[in-house]
Parts: sequence; structure tokens; C-alpha cells
Amino acid sequence: MTRWAMVADLERCVGCQTCTAACRHSNATSPAVQWRKVLDVEAGIYPNVRRIFVPVGCQHCADPPCMHVCPTTATRQRADGIVTIDYDLCIGCAYCEVACPYQARFLVHEPHFAYDAATKNEVERDDPARLGVAQKCTFCADRIDFGMENGLAPGVDSRATPACVNACIADALHFGDVDDPDSNVSRLLREQRNFRMHAELGTSPGFYYLYGKTSSPEVGNTTVPDVALAGGQLRAHGVEPSLQKHWDWKAAGNFICGGMGSGLFVFTAVASLRYDGLASLGWAALGLVALGLFLVLLKIGRPLRFIYVLRQPQRSWMTREAWIAAVFFPLAGAALWYRQPALLVAAAAVGMLFLCSQAMILREAKGIPAWRTSRIVPLVVVTGLAEGSGLFLAATAPFAELQSLAELAGFAALLLAALRGWIWRSYRSALVAEGAPTRTLAEFRTYGPWFFGIGLALPSLLIVAGGAVGIALPLLFTAAGICIAAAGAALKFMLVTRAGFNQGFALTHTPVRGAGIAGPAVKPGWSIP
Amino acid sequence: MPGKPAHSERSVSTYCYQCVAGPDLLKVRVEDGIATEVAPNFDAAAVHPAGGKACVKAFGLVQKAYNPSRILYPMKRTNPKKGRNEDPGFVRISWEEALGLVADRLNAARKAGLTDEAGYPRVAASFGGGGTPTAYMGTFPAFLAAWGPVDMSFGSGQGVKCYHSEHLYGELWHRGFTVSPDTPHCEYLVSFGANVEASGGVCGVKRHADARKRGMKRVQVEPHLSVTGACSAEWIPIRPKTDSAFLFAMIHVFLHEHGRERLDLPFLRDRTASPYLIGPNGLFVRDSVTRKPLMIDTATGRAVPFDTPGIEPALEGSFAVSGIEVDADEEVISHEDVPATPAFARLVAHVKDYTPEWASAICDVPAATIRRIANEFLEHARVGETIDIDGTTLPLRPVSISLGKTVNNGWGGYECCWARTLIGCLFGALEVPGSTLGTTVRLNRPADNRWSSVKPGPDGFMQYPMNPTSKADWIARPSARSAHRTLVPLVADSAWSQALGPTHLAWMMQGENFAELPAATPPDVWFVYRTNPAISFWDTKAVGQAMAKFPFVVCFAYTRDETNHVADVLLPDCTDLEGVQLLRIGGTKYVEQFWDYQGFALRSPAVPPQGEAKDFTEISTELARRTGLLEAYNGAINRGAAGVRLFGKNYDFSLVPDKVHDVETIWDASCRAASAEITDGAESQGLAWFREHGFRVKPFPRLQWYLYPKLVAEGLRFEQPYQEQLFRIGKQLGRRLHEKGIHWWDKQLREYEPLPQWHDLNALWEGALEKHFSVRIADYPFWLITARSMQYSWGGNVGIQLIKEVAGNVAGHGNVVMNHAAAERLGIADGDLVEVRSPLDQTKGRVMLCEGIRPDTLLMIGQFDHWVTPFAKDFGAPSMNALMPMMLDLTDATGSSADLVKVKVTRVERSV
Repeated sequence: MTRWAMVADLERCVGCQTCTAACRHSNATSPAVQWRKVLDVEAGIYPNVRRIFVPVGCQHCADPPCMHVCPTTATRQRADGIVTIDYDLCIGCAYCEVACPYQARFLVHEPHFAYDAATKNEVERDDPARLGVAQKCTFCADRIDFGMENGLAPGVDSRATPACVNACIADALHFGDVDDPDSNVSRLLREQRNFRMHAELGTSPGFYYLYGKTSSPEVGNTTVPDVALAGGQLRAHGVEPSLQKHWDWKAAGNFICGGMGSGLFVFTAVASLRYDGLASLGWAALGLVALGLFLVLLKIGRPLRFIYVLRQPQRSWMTREAWIAAVFFPLAGAALWYRQPALLVAAAAVGMLFLCSQAMILREAKGIPAWRTSRIVPLVVVTGLAEGSGLFLAATAPFAELQSLAELAGFAALLLAALRGWIWRSYRSALVAEGAPTRTLAEFRTYGPWFFGIGLALPSLLIVAGGAVGIALPLLFTAAGICIAAAGAALKFMLVTRAGFNQGFALTHTPVRGAGIAGPAVKPGWSIP
Repeated sequence: MPGKPAHSERSVSTYCYQCVAGPDLLKVRVEDGIATEVAPNFDAAAVHPAGGKACVKAFGLVQKAYNPSRILYPMKRTNPKKGRNEDPGFVRISWEEALGLVADRLNAARKAGLTDEAGYPRVAASFGGGGTPTAYMGTFPAFLAAWGPVDMSFGSGQGVKCYHSEHLYGELWHRGFTVSPDTPHCEYLVSFGANVEASGGVCGVKRHADARKRGMKRVQVEPHLSVTGACSAEWIPIRPKTDSAFLFAMIHVFLHEHGRERLDLPFLRDRTASPYLIGPNGLFVRDSVTRKPLMIDTATGRAVPFDTPGIEPALEGSFAVSGIEVDADEEVISHEDVPATPAFARLVAHVKDYTPEWASAICDVPAATIRRIANEFLEHARVGETIDIDGTTLPLRPVSISLGKTVNNGWGGYECCWARTLIGCLFGALEVPGSTLGTTVRLNRPADNRWSSVKPGPDGFMQYPMNPTSKADWIARPSARSAHRTLVPLVADSAWSQALGPTHLAWMMQGENFAELPAATPPDVWFVYRTNPAISFWDTKAVGQAMAKFPFVVCFAYTRDETNHVADVLLPDCTDLEGVQLLRIGGTKYVEQFWDYQGFALRSPAVPPQGEAKDFTEISTELARRTGLLEAYNGAINRGAAGVRLFGKNYDFSLVPDKVHDVETIWDASCRAASAEITDGAESQGLAWFREHGFRVKPFPRLQWYLYPKLVAEGLRFEQPYQEQLFRIGKQLGRRLHEKGIHWWDKQLREYEPLPQWHDLNALWEGALEKHFSVRIADYPFWLITARSMQYSWGGNVGIQLIKEVAGNVAGHGNVVMNHAAAERLGIADGDLVEVRSPLDQTKGRVMLCEGIRPDTLLMIGQFDHWVTPFAKDFGAPSMNALMPMMLDLTDATGSSADLVKVKVTRVERSV
């Protein structure tokens, strides 16, 4: 077998960005779309400081999270390990971008030029197919294929070698087949100490970093990254986790509306087994779910191709969400229309599945530490149910004929809000224990008191007060329901748009530079347990 | 490949010489007649020291060709008023009119006399980029040669922003206009601020990366952690401008803390002036008849001339000798049995008090660190070992010291260059494999080969073309507005000398009179090409005001900029990918271009000129025709003014002198002559061949990387450690100046010390600023320094989007770089907009906090502050240039100063 891989020698790299410029030329990417670039990383405290240059880009993982989440099968993996994107299939949902822990993917919605209008070379190399879809480093697959067709060795013959490797003036970048023990890269990996970035995430990247000769002494303790101790003092722009920009309020809107809608529907369906007059609430719930999905449609780069979202149910939770929605709407509609208990139960179950699929979408976003943790699933599911219960409570409390139902709903909402609070605490503790971007945790700290105040303490008071003062029940229960729902919505809005810091970049070692020993790990912007 | 299929595609070989570290050979992909991609030229992989790779700046050339802000048509000024706030009112004109306007002015100047009433040339020209514009100006040098005297002393940065002391002293001591480690063999390198990973080009980067993999230890001594510091094994944050103390302390360790057997004693005895006896007046004691310096033969204890064969001279001790000392103006002082000591012994005594403990307080570096570095250097010196180079056995001394800008120019540059060269001599680590080498000559002749420039001079040293200081020959009336030959003997009189004189004096004299020099007149015609002194010089406000008074300014213009804002005529020439030119490549050249080949490369047009841009050669020919200089112009081309002499022993491709030749004809003849030169007349392929192949080379012997074998062959010595010649010349110069009533250069005269003393340069800077601006210097607590950027330096490429984009990945570009703790004390946060104010002026920029800089130092990378240049004027990036005053007090004897000023910082706006 063949597995193409890149090897970056951190001892050699000088951060000159010639590879960046060569990639921009060779692949005719838009300004600021840098499939290859070199990070400028600082580690240590004055005067014991190191500065390291780290080439990054698509790592062509053996187990690529981007491919697993891609709903359209646009992202695929070739037999030789290269991860590709089919621009004609991609819908620009950006799921791959939040799934990638290496910030390797770009999504450009509008044409961008070096100057105001396109220059001649930009017109010549213009490729509209790249607009509104994900794009990234291809390892210059066309050159590799050309080489293989013409008996040239990629990584050895320049015509068959990625442009960045050709351009590298320090000979820091190498390319070759890591499955071939005699290849240039295999030799380098034998002779020199190396690591792969974020290897702990299990992606098995096809990108290796050399940091010293195997004959040189290994650095001592690498478990405590010295940068983590610096308390955010370091120059870490572009290196520390940054807030993901791909999923904005519209994406958050899907999680909010989807959670509220499906939660509300579950309550409505279950209540409809015993109570009449709730159909309109059920329709409203479906409307909410639909609104969420519509918001997604507004967000994706290629909305006219949205149907391609259904192409990958075997792997992608986004596809599964779409399929579940496709089943949920007619089933729930029929249930509301016919009020058949079996249909209602089935529809409620599918609603739950929809809620779970939304949770799983976040869970599979491997690039965002706050989302990928396993406790995100109960958090999102319970939050959806809590929101649904809150809305249900708010919707039923004003009606005297539904007071008994509202009392039940109030009790349920309170239970769910408490459960949600407990899961939130457990989710946060788990994240702290796993390690997380410091700014994610800072967001959580800011949000936490409000969440408990508005989402649990206040509604508890309101419900207890409403239960005690019957005449005030409709008003207080409605207010409590709204609080519970709003807190849930705020939680998800915060999770998606405010706490969604990406993985950032990290090194397990800083390199030897001619003499001495390798330095300790660098992981700026992280709270390490 | 992504992208639509191309209709037609070809690859064009050319070169990039936007910076002094070039030329880089490259290929341009051209699709449908449009340049789309720059790539290395792997055809040159076997001959180019960096395997045919091209630097990041070369990748800006495609956008450069198609930049919408290009000036595509000749233009003339309609607003006669000039100044920053005056709109030039440029209007489009025809080439006919443009060239007519220029020719009329030139003809008028010629008619009035080539020099004006003050004796200065009426025509001036300024070129930037460390001489690289000649790689783009085609035959314009032939036009200038045909014209006659041209004032090139209006600096665009040279003198103030180059390795100035190194250029002058380096050429004196070892034909090292620029100096480099022999990186492929070096094992231990102490780099004082040399930023080779930013300014060494592809060859420097490749050679140092290879050296790291070999295990070379490089220690970077520098106030901030530059990219070069990043790539070094160790960073030592030294207080700005205190490097000489560190170096002196290293010498102390070598001479006072170790046995003499650790030194290369044979080298000191035979290849330096260490044994030369110094008399009571600080001059060599000479044989009274032959005037040869004397040394003590240890076998007999007698003083003998330095060139007495077969003796082992004494390096230490005190001896009673008879002879003469020859002082300034040939004054002879006779001695009988006076005490004299070898120069080496003088040196030992000179550095006695320069201990690491002494240096520690000055440099803010622990004494133990300084001592450790010195000892590590010594351990790696391998005194006594040899290596075979091209079949010749040479000493192997894999230790070197490199100096960077601000260390090797301005006050202190002499001390540092001296100490660096001297340390080499102590271990025989000068001009031998692994050691410190010169790369090129620019002041000695011939300029294309260091070996050929070595000629025996007096006292057993290499001949050096000092400007005369004798009563009879001193040039009292300057020939250029910098008075370079009048004030600076070391700057010599080559084609480069004017631009290396105190070029800020040329600008200063436009604003103030210097007693007893002719009042500086503005040039009648000033040509400007590939330079923007209104941005790149110091005190840019003053420079801008001076140039605004020039009556007629012709700018070969790529886009509008701050200098051509005062132009009368803008002439658009072909950009890098559009013009044609043949360039000499290979041999040894700065910064780290050490080739095993030499020859020529063609800059072949990849794309047609945009708009009405014309090839520079066509413009030059037309100016020659219109000024009646065609014959002299063609003659100059024939003699090699365009890079290659068109005739030789077995060939003659000379142009007919009295004819107008088109661009292709001129370069075809050059290509043929180049082919013939390389093949000794056997072949004569022309332009078509070069277009197809891109370059043509023949072997260059590696032995010629090293000057040592040439000195051995010539029986010469390096002029170290004792600077008797400079001491004497300094005295003579002082006498001449004083005789003329010039006393404003007295401080500079004090630099002519035979063994340089340490000077408190921090106090010198602070005192000068305090005195000149009547400020309390304590109010300016930070040292402001700069650093080169590989992406920008010399490139004139601030208008290129791609360059801005990729430079943005390298920390500090466009920012005020500041130490985190220092900022915290001032309540300044990352991203805050701050005003950085020197006693002269202020600049603004956003703060970037980091740990890799001293708390007392601020850094601004590159040169910005543009206010006209399209694209760049919107950067909001700070620049230190406006903050630095041009002052005689800050000007050293070579006529340079350094990028250093004291500043204070105040927040203007909080980070958003």
C-alpha cells in the first residue's frame, strides 16, 4: 500500500512563508486562503523563550473526522491516504470545518481578490466551483497523479511533488510514502524524533514533525506544557484556540429551534394521549423544527444542492438528522392530524431521535473541544427536553382548562431544569478534567451563574410560588416556562457561537536547533488538568 | 489541478534580484499569455547553492505585474509646488513628450557644465536595494557612464541602514565588503544581531538549515528573539548597542584566562601584524632605511624587518630597539634603544580590564554566560587541524562570529568589526574553511573576484585604495554632496563609494550649511529608481522636505509613492517579469552566496509590458540619443557597463557605436559575449539560447571562497590587531580638516584608534539626544530597534497584497513589539494602539506583546508609514524611520549611524 505523508522538520523551518506563497500560486487560492501556512509560535517566559515555526495545513488523517461528518460524501479518502473534496457535491455546510482539529479547511462564499477587482492572473485562474464549498490542501494530488502516471517518484521528482515542498528554501518540508520503508520520509522518521499534532484525538495524521535526531537526548518531562503555565501571557495569536466562525447564529438557531421544537413536540404528543386541544402546540413545535432547518439552509454555501445532505447516512449525523427530519415531519403531522396514540408515540420517539441526532452532530465535531466531549449528548438532549417542557408549560399555564396539565408540566419542567443543571455541572467538570481551551472555560464561568439563576433558581421560585398562590399560577408558571426555555436557548447559543473555540495548535516538543535538547510541549490557550 | 484548463501554457526562466541576497533563479508559469505562478528553477539545482529555490519575495512578482495601481503611462506634474501636502496633479503624457522633457533638462544641464558652481554634479541619481536595481535598469549604467559625473550620494538607506562599518573595515582587513561564516564547515557561530534567516536569502537559509542538521551551534546575541534567534540553539538578550563589550570580554577570556597554546600562534606570527613592534608614539617601529616594520627574532633577540624569512618572531615582551616611527604626513621620529612591544602584547594589555564581569553590567548578560560562550568558541576552534579543499590543504577553524545591522554600523561598528576580525586571527579562523569569510568586494578592484583584488601593499598588508589625506592630494573640495572622499578615507573611490559615504550628510547639507564646505546645491536633475528615501531613510520628514526643493525629479515609477510624490516626470519601466537583462551570477557574493559555479542568467520577459511600460534599456538608449551621447553610451556597453564586456581575446560582439540599437540587439550581443567569455571564445550563442536555457555557468574553484591561500601565495598578512595605518591616516585627516577650518568632524576623528577602546554608546546616544533636543532622556525609557523582514526587505514590495498576507503570518509585522511585563507596568495591553515618540517625532501602531524581547526594548520590523503608496498607505503600520534624527553626533568616522533611538510609549486607544 501507499500512504502519502508530509514531514516537516522543525529544526530546519525558518517560518519564511515561501511554502505559503507557493501554495497560493500553485493552487490559485483566494487571498487569505492558505492551504499551507507556517505558524509562528512562542514558548517560555523572558528570558528563557523559544520561538518555533510550524508548517500546518490538512494533515490527510488516516481517520479523518472531516470525512466522517461530511453529509454529502464530498470529502473522501483515496487509497493512497489523500483526503479529497468533490466541489460538485459539497453543499458548504461547514460541518467538516468544525470537525477538523487542524483548521485546515476554508469556506469562501464570495469572490475575493488581491485588490478591488480581479487582476489578470486571478481572472485566468478563477474557479467558481470553489465558491460556497469547503476547500483545503490536496497534497497537490494532481502532481502526484501526474508523477505516478509518468513513472516519477512523488517527493523525489519535483514534477510529482507538492508545490510547498518544492518551494521550501530550508528543505524543511519532505513528502513521500510512509508505507514504503525505503522512502525518503520513512528514513527521516527513523533517523529523527517526531510527533504528530493532536495525535491524542486518534486522527492518525499523515503529517509528521521532526524535532531532533534520535541520537540526541530526549527532553525530560513533556507532560506539562510550559506555555500552559504562562497564564495567557504568551504571544499566541493564530496558535491558541480561536472561536470557530463557521457556525454562526443561524447554526445555533437550528440547535435552539430543533431542541425546543422536538422537546415541545415530545411533550405535546405525550400529553395528547390524554388531553385534547394541543394540536396547535404540536404544529408550532414542528414549525420550530422547520425554522431551525430553514436557518441552516440560509447558512450553507450551496443551498440549491441541499438535497445532497441525504447522501451519507452511514457516517454523518448531519445526514441522519436530515433523514430523521424527513421521517419526523410526515409522521408527526399524521399523528397530530389523526391523534392516533401509536402514531403519537412513534412521532414522539422520532422527535427524540431528532434531538439525539442534533446532540450527536456536536459530539462528532472533533475540532471543537467543548462540543466533542461525550457529555455533550445528555446535555443537549436534556436541554432540548427542558426547553420543550418550558415552552409546553408556558403554553398551557394560561389556560384554566389545562391547569392540571400545567401543574404536571411545571413539575416535569422543574425536574428537567434541575437535571439539566446537574448535567451542565458534570459536563463542565468533565471538560475541565479533559482539558479545554481557557477561553471556553471563561465563557462557561461567565454564563454559569446566569444559567443557574434564570434556568433553575428563578423558575423554581416561580413554580413554587405559583403552586402556592393559585391565582398567580398562570402568570408565574408561564414565566417559569419561558425562563427554562430561554436558559436552554441561551446555553446552546453560547455553546455554538461563544464557547466554540477550536483545538488550536500544539506541539508535543519544541525542536532542537543545531545543538542542545528538545524543549517541552507547547499548547497555548489551554487549561491543562 | 484545481482551476480551469489553460489554453496555452509555457514556462519562462528568469531571476529575482529584489534583494541583496539574490539573485534567485526561478521559473514563471505563463498561461494564455498571463503569468500565473512562480516556481523554483530546478534546472539550476545542481549549480545554485540553494538548489534553484526562490525566496518568498519572488512570489510577489505576479501581482507586481498586474497590480492595478501601477503607473502604466508616462506622466508629468502639473502642480509646480512640491511637498507632502501638495497634490502633484500628475497627467498622462506621451513617451515622446516625457523623454523630451527629460532630455531638455539634461541638455540644459550639460550645456551649463557637468558640475555646478559648488563643484557638485548637476545630475544626481539614487538607487535602492543595496545595488540590486542595476539588475533591472538594463543599460542605464552605460548612460550614466556616458554622461560623466553623477552624484549618487543622496542615500536611500545605505550608510544608515546597511552594514556600513563592516563594508569599509571588512574590505580593508579581508576583502569582506560583507562578511559571512563559512557556514558549510562552521561548527560554532556567535551571531550578534545578524539576521541571516531574514536577510540571508535562499542561500543563507539553506546553508544554515543544513548546518543545524550537521550540529552547528549558533548563539544569537540580540535584544529581541528574531527569526534568526528562533532558529538558533541559544538566545542571549543583550542590551542594545553594547555588543562591543561582549566581544571585548570574549577577547579577554581568550588572552587572560587560557594558555597561549590555545591560540593559533603560527597564524598570529606569520599572517598578522601581531609581532610588529610598536614604538613610544603608538606607531610601528621601522627599519630606518627600508621603513619596513620591525619584529623581534626570538632566536637572536634582534629586531628584524617583518619579511625576514625563517624566523620565529616574538609576540610578547618588551624590547629595546632602534629605528624610526613614521607619523602623519611622513614625519619621521628616530629612536635609539627605546622600549617597544609587539602589537600582540599591546593587545593583551589593552583587553586586560575588559573582563566578563565588567561586560556583564554593560550588556545586562551574566558574566558566566559571556565566559561560557567564549570558552565554547575556543573549544570548537580546532586549532591545528586541516581540511582538503580542491586538492589544497587548508587550516580548518570551524568557528565564526557574524554581526548584524546596528551592531556593525554607526558608533561601535569599528569596535565590533575589529573584535570580530581579531578573534578570527587569534585562532587562525579568518578566511579559512569553517571560519569568517568575506563574500565580495565593492571598494577594491576588480569587483568580480576577491582573489584578483588582493595586491601587495605597504608593510606586508594588502593594498587598500584609501582616499588621500596627504597635504598634496587630500580632496578638499567634495565631488559629491556627501563629501565622502573628503571625510572618509576608507570609503575609497569605486563606483560604490559615493553611495557609501555619509549619505545622510548629503540630505543634511540641503538644510544646513557645514562650515568650510561649499554650500550644497540641489541637483538640476535627480533620477530615482527602485527606492523611496522619503520612507526608507531617517528623519523622513526632513528628507522629504529636502527633495521637495529639487527642481527636476525623474522617477522611474512602478506605482505612486512618497518619493515620486515630488517627481516632475514619471516614467513607467517594465517590471521584473516584463523586461530583459543579462546578469552575472555565481562566484562569491553577499549575503551567503558561495557558488561552485559562475556565469550569467537571463531575465527573460515572461509577459508583455502592461500599458505603455518600456524596457529600461530602450529608455536608456533613447536618453543617450536625445542627449547626443549615443557613441559614448554604446562604447560604455561595449566596455561592459551593462554587465559583460562585448569583446575579448577571441571574440568581438561590440555594438556599432553611432547607431541606435534595439533592446534585443543589445542583449543578444551581451548574451553572445557571455557565451564566449564562459567558453573562452569557443561558443557564441545569443539571446535565443539564453531564453531557452535561462543561465549558463562554468566552474568556480571553491578554493577561491577563502582568501587565506591567496595571502599565503602573496606572502601577505592580515592588518590585525594593531591599526597603525588608520591611526596615522586619522591624524592626517584631522590636520587637513583643521587646516581648512573644519572642526565639526572632530568627534569622528577620535575613532581612529589603533586599538579601539570601549565606548559607552548608550550614554553617547542618550547624551546626543538630550543635547540636541533639550529633553530629559529619562522620559524616553525604551530603546527602539528594527529588524529586517525576509518578506519585505529591499523588495520595494509594500504594495503587493500577497507579501502583506504572508508577512502577516510572521509575528511582529506591522506592530510595535513589546515585552509583556514592561507593557503591564504601563497598563498597555496586547492590541492597544500606542504612540511611540522619540525626541524627534512620533509614530503609531498596535502593540504586539511577547516574551521574546527585552523589557527595555521596542521593535518595529521593516519600514512603513506610507502615506501615498497605494495599498501600503492603509496598513497603519509603524516605522521607526521618522523617529531618528540625522545628527553628526550620531555619525561615526565611516559616515554611518545605526537604527537606534530612545522612545516613550503612550496608549492612544484600547484594543478592540
